[in-house]
Amino acid sequence: MPAYEELVRRYESLAFRTAYLIVADADEARDAAQDGFLRAYGALRRFRAGSEFRPWLLRIVANAARNRRRSSNRRVSLALRVAAEATADGPVPSPEAGVLAAERRALLLSAIERLSLEDRDLIVMRWFGELTEAEMAAALDCPRGTVKSRLSRAMGRLRVGLPEPEPEALRD
Amino acid sequence: MTEVFDATLDRELTLLAAQIAIPATPPIAPAVALAIRQQRAPSRLGLRLSRGLVLAIIATLLLVGIAAALGIALGGVRFVIGSGTPAPLPPGVAADRGLGRLVSLEQGRSAVSFQIRLPAGTALGEPDHVYVSTLVPTGGRVALVYGDRPGFPADPKSGIGVLITEFRADIGPDSFEKLIQQGVRVEEVTVNGATGYWVAGGQHFYYYRNADGAVVDDTMRLVGDTLIWEEAGLTLRIEGAPSLADAQQLAAALH
Repeated sequence: MPAYEELVRRYESLAFRTAYLIVADADEARDAAQDGFLRAYGALRRFRAGSEFRPWLLRIVANAARNRRRSSNRRVSLALRVAAEATADGPVPSPEAGVLAAERRALLLSAIERLSLEDRDLIVMRWFGELTEAEMAAALDCPRGTVKSRLSRAMGRLRVGLPEPEPEALRD
Repeated sequence: MTEVFDATLDRELTLLAAQIAIPATPPIAPAVALAIRQQRAPSRLGLRLSRGLVLAIIATLLLVGIAAALGIALGGVRFVIGSGTPAPLPPGVAADRGLGRLVSLEQGRSAVSFQIRLPAGTALGEPDHVYVSTLVPTGGRVALVYGDRPGFPADPKSGIGVLITEFRADIGPDSFEKLIQQGVRVEEVTVNGATGYWVAGGQHFYYYRNADGAVVDDTMRLVGDTLIWEEAGLTLRIEGAPSLADAQQLAAALH
């Protein structure tokens, strides 16, 4: 058991972040991550030798989080906050991060909120959760090629909900 | 224009991500550990059932033993005394064990970056099946699967007698510090003059460092208790031998 506890410590941050991006609530995300680790422990016998533990765990945690979101029967709002506004003592955004104007940022967040849950999961996992396509494929239980095509379609729908960026923004 | 817009959107999302505040991860491991300990506490009913099951298994084994001693048919199954020629291992018996792809021994030799070692002059003889994985770990991994052999009875569930796995990796005592599940025993032993480990008990994970230095999670006890050791950068694993002495004998015969 201490060994599994060690494994939980190693992956708890990734599990919590993934769950949070799905349920959009810190308490729910903690519970979903705990559920996920317990289910993974119960399913250890089914874990295939030679497989990677991380994507296997991610899939279980993401399923636990989606089940929680489904059973909560409410439209969860991401309620994403920028770091500078979140806490007075929080990390100072990098100068680069400051480039994104507040108005454009609000438009983007609002467009993401209007997406379907499936599209939103893809966008937030890819950009905010910083999961790789392979990890997303594991979390969403689908082939990597499907992640690519679904991500492309989700981006298309996000684009529709946004005004064209200013020509200034198109310059590198 | 759409492509330019997508590239800009990608950049904007990346910048936005840098500004998003995801709450700090709360401690999760203690709650998980507590829940598992509570789950594992056996109920009185569970204990009674376990005893009942044990008695039933003992009774069945006694009946099977008597049938075997007499060489009689029981429930459509004939028990025969003597070694005889073991039936060949059915194809695909190890296909779902994540061992890689089924190949011939020759194909296996050319697929991995090391010389495959075989147990010479033992009851095992030639492997029934050879599997190779060239994805993980670096340099490839070969698995030699043996069915029922004299002195190495097949596991009734898997049909596998012995499984020998060879791959390039470094192992050490820390590889086993993180073993999962209670009831796993790790004994440090000497194998061919090198330090090895005899791991007995339930299925568990362990870690090793592959040829690139990356840490890889793996599972042991696919078919039985395991002897694992490292020789000249090659990690060898023998699973399913009835005892440590049998496993050490096989290890000594690997050339």
